[in-house]
This record gives sequence, C-alpha cells and structure tokens, in this order.
Amino acid sequence: MNKQEKPNSITNVLIVGVGGQGVIMVSKVLARLCQRHGFDVKQSEVHGMAKRGGVVFSHVRFGEKIWSPTVSEGNADVLLALEWAEALRWLHYLKPKTGTFIADTQHIVPPFACLKRHRGAEQRYAQETPEEIVSQVAKGYALDATGIATELGNFRVSNTVLLGTLSTALAFDEADWRDTLAELVPPKTIDTNLEAFQKGRDWVEEVKKTPKKEKNTKKPNKIAPYQQQVKIQNDIQQDLIPVITAAWCKGCDICVKMCPERCLKLNTKEVVELVEPERCTGCRICEWLCPDFAIDVVKVPTPLNEEASKSKPASLPETV
Amino acid sequence: MASKYQLVNLQGNHACALGAVAAGCRFFAGYPITPSSEIAERMALELPRIGGVFIQMEDEIASMGAVLGASMGGLKSMTATSGPGFSLKQEHLGYGAGAEIPCVIANVMRGGPSTGMPTRPSQGDIMQSRWGTHGDHATIVLAPASVKEVFDETRRAFALSEKFRVPVIVLYDEVIGHLVETIELPKPEECEQVERKWADSDKKTFKPYAETDDLVPPMARPGDGYRVHTTGLTHAEDGFPTQDPETVVRVTQRILGKLEKHADEIASYEEVDCKDADTVIVAIGISARAANQAIRQARKKGGKVGLFRPITLWPFPEKPFKQAVQKAKTVIVPEMNAGQLALEIERLCQSEQIVERLNRIDGEALEPGEILQKIGEAQ
Amino acid sequence: MNETEDISKNGEDTHLVSEKSARDFNIRDYLRTSLFPHFLCPGCGHGIALRALLWAIYELDIDKNNLVIVSGIGCSGRTGAYIDANTFHTTHGRPLAFATGLALARPDLKVIVITGDGDCLAIGGNHLIHASRRNLDITCMMLNNEVYGMTGGQASPTTSETRYTTTSPSGSIEPVFDACRLAEAAGAGFVGRDVTLQMPRLKNLLRDAIQYRGFSFVEVISDCTEIFGRKNDLGESPEMILSQKSAMRPSSYGNVVDEPFRPNTLKTGILARNDRPEYGATYRAHAETIQAKGK
Repeated sequence: MNKQEKPNSITNVLIVGVGGQGVIMVSKVLARLCQRHGFDVKQSEVHGMAKRGGVVFSHVRFGEKIWSPTVSEGNADVLLALEWAEALRWLHYLKPKTGTFIADTQHIVPPFACLKRHRGAEQRYAQETPEEIVSQVAKGYALDATGIATELGNFRVSNTVLLGTLSTALAFDEADWRDTLAELVPPKTIDTNLEAFQKGRDWVEEVKKTPKKEKNTKKPNKIAPYQQQVKIQNDIQQDLIPVITAAWCKGCDICVKMCPERCLKLNTKEVVELVEPERCTGCRICEWLCPDFAIDVVKVPTPLNEEASKSKPASLPETV
Repeated sequence: MASKYQLVNLQGNHACALGAVAAGCRFFAGYPITPSSEIAERMALELPRIGGVFIQMEDEIASMGAVLGASMGGLKSMTATSGPGFSLKQEHLGYGAGAEIPCVIANVMRGGPSTGMPTRPSQGDIMQSRWGTHGDHATIVLAPASVKEVFDETRRAFALSEKFRVPVIVLYDEVIGHLVETIELPKPEECEQVERKWADSDKKTFKPYAETDDLVPPMARPGDGYRVHTTGLTHAEDGFPTQDPETVVRVTQRILGKLEKHADEIASYEEVDCKDADTVIVAIGISARAANQAIRQARKKGGKVGLFRPITLWPFPEKPFKQAVQKAKTVIVPEMNAGQLALEIERLCQSEQIVERLNRIDGEALEPGEILQKIGEAQ
Repeated sequence: MNETEDISKNGEDTHLVSEKSARDFNIRDYLRTSLFPHFLCPGCGHGIALRALLWAIYELDIDKNNLVIVSGIGCSGRTGAYIDANTFHTTHGRPLAFATGLALARPDLKVIVITGDGDCLAIGGNHLIHASRRNLDITCMMLNNEVYGMTGGQASPTTSETRYTTTSPSGSIEPVFDACRLAEAAGAGFVGRDVTLQMPRLKNLLRDAIQYRGFSFVEVISDCTEIFGRKNDLGESPEMILSQKSAMRPSSYGNVVDEPFRPNTLKTGILARNDRPEYGATYRAHAETIQAKGK
C-alpha cells in the first residue's frame, strides 16, 4: 500500500485495552509504519494509567492528509482490542458494514468488577461470547492472544500476537511490519516478539483455511469458582492454616517465594493456592507479607479445635 | 443596667479578629503578611485567653491546611492573609469548597500582582476571590466597607460558612483594614453563634455527602463514631472517590446548587437613592464610601444619582441589583483595579444601559471628587 | 534454612511478636473491606506497611472512633482510605499541615499521618521540618518507594543516584534525602526507619512511635514493583522485597554494612528519641497561665 494506490482514503484504527497491556506499543508500531509509507499519521491516546488496569486507548488515523486526531463513532476501519470487555465497550466505533474486529478473548476483570466476585460469580463482567460478537461484525477475529503468548513463554507479548493479526487486515508488507516491530521493542525481546507476530498471522491463516462455521474460537474461560483446596490430615497436630481471599489476591508471588515450606503456589488465574497444607507450620510469613491482605492464617476448622476456629473466619468475606 | 454595647476605637483588622471571636472562632492559623498581620496579632492575644488555639504556621499554605484540619476536628477556624498569601491559599480553598469544610479567610487587599505594593490599598482580588482556585466551585465573598461592618460581616461569614459548609472570604482593602473608627461593640455573650449541623443519624448508614432538603449535608465529627472518609477527589455521597459521570454531575451540582438555592438568604447589599436614579454607582469597600459622598454632592446639584453596594460580593446579588438599576441609563463602576467588578456589572446590565468604568491602579484610594466628575460626564 | 527465617526472630530477640497478639489481631476489623481488593499494584510494599500500622494500632488498643488518619496525595495517600477510621485524604504534601490543625484543635484524637517520599520530602518538605520542630503529638509514617508511582514513575527526592525513572531517563544524578536525619535535625522527638520485609519489627517500631508523646517520624522502606522495580530491573516482587535484607542493617550493626542497594547507608531501628516537651501540652499550659493571670 502506498500513497499512489489509495490517494484519498483515510484508514482509522482504534486500539483499546487496559493499562500495562501494550496498547501504546501496538499503536506506535502502526504509526511508525504508516509514517514510513509517506502517510500523514495522527496517533492520539489516553494513557498514564499508573493505577494498572485503567482504560487505555489509542486512535491511529492515516491517509493523504489527516485533520482530526480522533476516530468518531462508527468510523473505525479496524478495532483492535487487547482485552475482551474493552472490545465490547468500543464496539460501536467500528464501521458497521466494513470494519474489522480483532480482539483478545482474555478477561481482565477490573478491581471494581471484582467487588462482588463471589465464588465464580462474574455478573459485572461482560457476558457476551466471542461467537456472538464475531457473528455481528463484518469481519471478526477473536483469539486467545494471551494464551498464545503464554505458550511462547511470555504473556506480555500478547499485544504483538494481535499486531500480527492486525497486519493481515492492513495492506502493508509483512517485512515492513517486522522491521518496524524490531525497531521499537526492547532489543532483548525482538525474537519473542517476532515469533508472537508470526503466531498472530498464522492464526488468521488457520482461520481462513477452516470452514467459516468454525471460525470462532472456543468460549473464553469463564472464571471458575475458586475452590480453596484445603486438605487437612486429621492425624497431624496442626492448627494454623492460611485461608486465602482469592478475590483480593493480585498474584504478586511474594507469599509463594517467601514461604519457608514452599506450600503455596500461583494457579493458572495468577491467584495463590495452598497446595501442600500438610507442610504448613503456621509461621504467618505469608499473612504478614501479603500486600493485598488476601491471606489470613487462622485456626483450622478441624475436630481438634472447633471452638477456636470461630474467631476469625466469622468476619471473613464469603469469597473464602 | 450595664449597656449591651461598649464604645471603642477599633482598627478594621482588629474588628475582624474580634468579630471572629464573637462568632465563636476558636482556631486561627496564620502567617505574617502586610497588611493583614494585625488580625493574626490580635488573635494571638485573644484566643489563648478563651481556650482557643492560635498557631503561626510555617507558610500560607500550611496555615490554610491547619485551618481545614481544625475545622474538620470541629472548631470554627479562620485565617487571614493578603495578596500573595491569598494566591497560596487557593489550593486549600478549593479543598474546602470540594470537601465542604466550613472556614473563614480574611483577605486584606493590597496592590498586585506578585509582591506588588504591600502597604498600598487595592481592590484587585475581586475576581480571584471568586475564581481563584481551579475548577467549578461554590464560594461566598463578603465585602465590608467600615470597621463596624468588618466586625459584623466576619461574624456573618462564620454563620454562613457553618450553615452552608463552604469557605467564606471576608474581602476588604488595606484602607478599611487600617482604618480606626469608633464603633459600638456588642459584648461577646450578646452575639448569636451559628453552629454547623452535626451528624446524628444512624452511624452505619450515614452518608457524609447525601443530598438533603437544604442541599447541605450534616457533617461528621471525628470521635463521634461515624468514621467517614474525606477527600479532595471528586466523591460520591458516601465520601469515597468516584469518576462515574452521573454521580460526578449529581454531587457537583449539589455543591454548586446549595448557594444558588439559598441566594436570597446569602445576599446582602446597601442601596442608596436608587429608586429614581438615572445614574447608579456600583462599588465596594472604600470606593463605595467615596461614592456615597459623591452621590450626596450630586443630589445637592439636582442629579438623580444612586449607589448600589454589594455587601455579599459573591454570589453577586443579581436580583436586587437588577431592581436597583431598573431606571438607570448609566451605571458607573469605580474600583481600585483595572476593571474587575465592571465585568460582572456589564454582564448584568441591559444592552441599552451604559456601563462606565472608573479605575485607579496607582495604590491610592478613589476620591469622591473623581467619582463626582465621572457622574457629571455621564449626565 | 530460608532467607525469611529471621523475619519472625530478630536476632537474639525471639519475642518480637507475641503469639496471642498475632492470633487475636484480625485485620478486617480495621479495614473497609467493601473497598477491597485495594487499588495498589501487585507486590506494592504499601500494603505490608499498612498491615504493620494497623497491627500496631490493634496492640495499642486505640479506639477506631478516635483515630484519625491524615494522608496526602499519591499511592501512599490513597492507602489511608482503606482504614476503617476517620480518614482525611488531603492535598499534595500538606497532610502534616492538616494534622497540625487537627491535633491542636482536638488533643483527644490520635492523629496519624500517612505520606510518601515525594509528598513528604518534596512538595511537603517544609511542613515536615516544622512539624519536627514543634514536636506536636502526631505520628508520621512516610512510605518511601523512591518514586512517584501514581503519576507514572517520576524521580523523587529519594530516588537513588543512577536509578532510572521517567524523568531521569539516563539515570538519576541528584543526591538523595535521608529523611530520618532531616527529621532528627529539625527536632523530631522520635525518629525510626524499617523495611516492609521486617513487618513485625516495623510494627513494633510503629507502636513505639505512636506511643511517643510528640512528633514521631517513621520512614518505611517500601517497594514500587510495577514501575520502579521494572524500570530498574530489580526483579519481581519477591526479589525486590528480599533485596531489602541485604540493603538494610539494624542500627545496632553500626556502620558495618555490605554492598547496599541504595548508595547511602540507611540504618534501621529507632534512630533518635528524646524527651522534648510536646507542643500541644506546652501550648495548653501556656494558655492556662494566661487565663489565670486574666482572672
């Protein structure tokens, strides 16, 4: 694609996500690429979400001459969402008949939606499934980019996976995409990023090959009810055990690494779990060093000490 | 029987301090600045005698912070300052307006901008007193024009501040601040004291910023068991920060609306011979006193001239003003700045009415002769 | 053996924590649980410091109704809102000014200030000096994470030299403040410092600080993992908090330190304590003398 081919058209790309995902990096790559091809580019964004998890979006517009820096509703040629709920929130920006929709099916539940996160309940997170959405848009790709990135060994490159998918929707040369990407990512991560980029492209190829019906990815994993797996052997004279408030845990890993007995582990949801309760000595280090107040070391409700157990858990939230 | 009053020779700034004490002020935090230092000096003398607290803080910002802290603790609190100090206090004035913390700030106007003319009078803070701090906010500004009025308006400042949970500014120029007049001073026990509404509802369901009929929610005092959160962030009814657009609009409109709702009660003004006047002079502070003299002289010569003096400067008493200038062809605005009050008057006047400005920015007070001359020109 | 073993045992002193206190202390009694999970980033040391503070408050049996937490702006300032007490979230750098007014107006209340390194030492530096000088009965807990986290990671007065921040893109070249020496020199009656890693020890320090009648200043070495740690390759949350161990030495160790991760040698423990008169009491006594003379 170059100026001569598409003299008067303007392409609007809207990139959305939450803080820390790399929205700005994606838009930077795209903007740099467009600029190299001689387009007038405007990239306008909201970021600075030091409070991680805040909404981040970036409008990238390019063409012969761009005046307005932002994309208006119903005018985005491409909507690229790094997070599922954000994809839905911005969906009305997409051009109804021709727009391309690309989204990660990954759920990042914002803290305020967690407040009522009872066992598995996710009422405050969007209920729409990728199938529903993809069937509504002109061209839709919903992929588990974070999953793909995690397979590559670094979940942070999920944005690059999506960039790969995006590259199939815009008519720039693949080699140019790769050059620009390599230029902008930290040198140490160039290989991983290029690999992730390829995966994103491959995914589209794969989808194109398969019959249309099965284009959609499987349903995103609903947040499964978090079950505290406390298996206590009654014959062990042990009365203290960490009780974890899953909804408060942010998965910082401190307790896991600091536990002298190594009895805690992060599960696939990045939430800490007590995996080896029989080794726990009740030393409280996990409780003391948890920055999220997510661990309470309490007396175990075993026949040994039923009375004593009543003190703390009574006031614990029902999430436990 | 002992008289209710005692006759005293009092300086404007001292009247401000005594008015505050009479209104029940028991906390003063200040920082020395000309020409308002006498207020702090008098407070340093008076407050320890009556169990109040006087503290000289490390800077103007801190003194305003301490005033807010003491007010949150439940004491009627005030500070006094002038020009540059007033600029420094704006941040906390905004906090007081947003978190709805009653407090009183006396601002004795001197020449500006910046250090300006510390010992010379000015009326250059008229707009800053209204729009000094950032963002939309509600604030009350009272502009006394005599020593007695400084005493009374400082008391009224506390009453309004407590009643509406809003910072109130007592704004007067250096001339009034350093003017000594003989006034009848009421005994402190004769002075009515207005206390803010304290929360007394159920502690568990109490919402510190819930909408009430008068739009002024009761305040929770630490120690009373409410344990509420107070923040300068935009907050919902429960006191915790929010950015939910609907909530933000709702709570902000209540704060702005509470003064609108009580505008008649807050408004105060003096009207002299406006009924038949074809020329009305609008002025505050020492300029109004000069104007008063000027209209009397003009009347003697047969001119139909009146004076409208807003005592509550902000919110500007719009209705009474429009009433007063109904018949006026010309409105003259003498003020000791390059034209600030005139902006508001131009906004409020009919298109066929002529608004004449009379400004003085040389650090001298306006004189009756100048105003009289302007009246002559206008007629 | 594990690196963390000595957290519950402070060298010779094995009675750092009473088992009863640890068991009976239910932190949820002191938290506004409806606001949780809190907004701090994963691994942020401020949460640990908050636990230490609340535990100290529990041990001192302070009535929540009479407890006022005054905080400033920034990550540190926002932590105050999670405490179930009277919480005042004030303006940037000014919590000590608010607290001064409050403590003088209401000597019956327990006033604790939570502030950060930027809040307390940069924009609010003047207030720290003068609060120290007056020695009014306030406890000031300064959470030092070397960075302005809330605004996205700019250099603060405690950002160690050579560290990268968004406003020191090629490494900071400004000298740092030693907040404790500053407070001590300005006259603070009680000055102490500890790290979040040593949470129980920090709790004891805060307890002593709150008990002290006068201005007590406690610097808590906290970690900004998401912004500062990442930008400076300091590792993930666990590595960062563990590195505090090699960097800090209890004051009894004197000057014996190995390679610290901050260029200056920061000591921990109670660094200064004196019996200067508390300002509020002095003021009230002074006022009473005046009143007596007047009668």
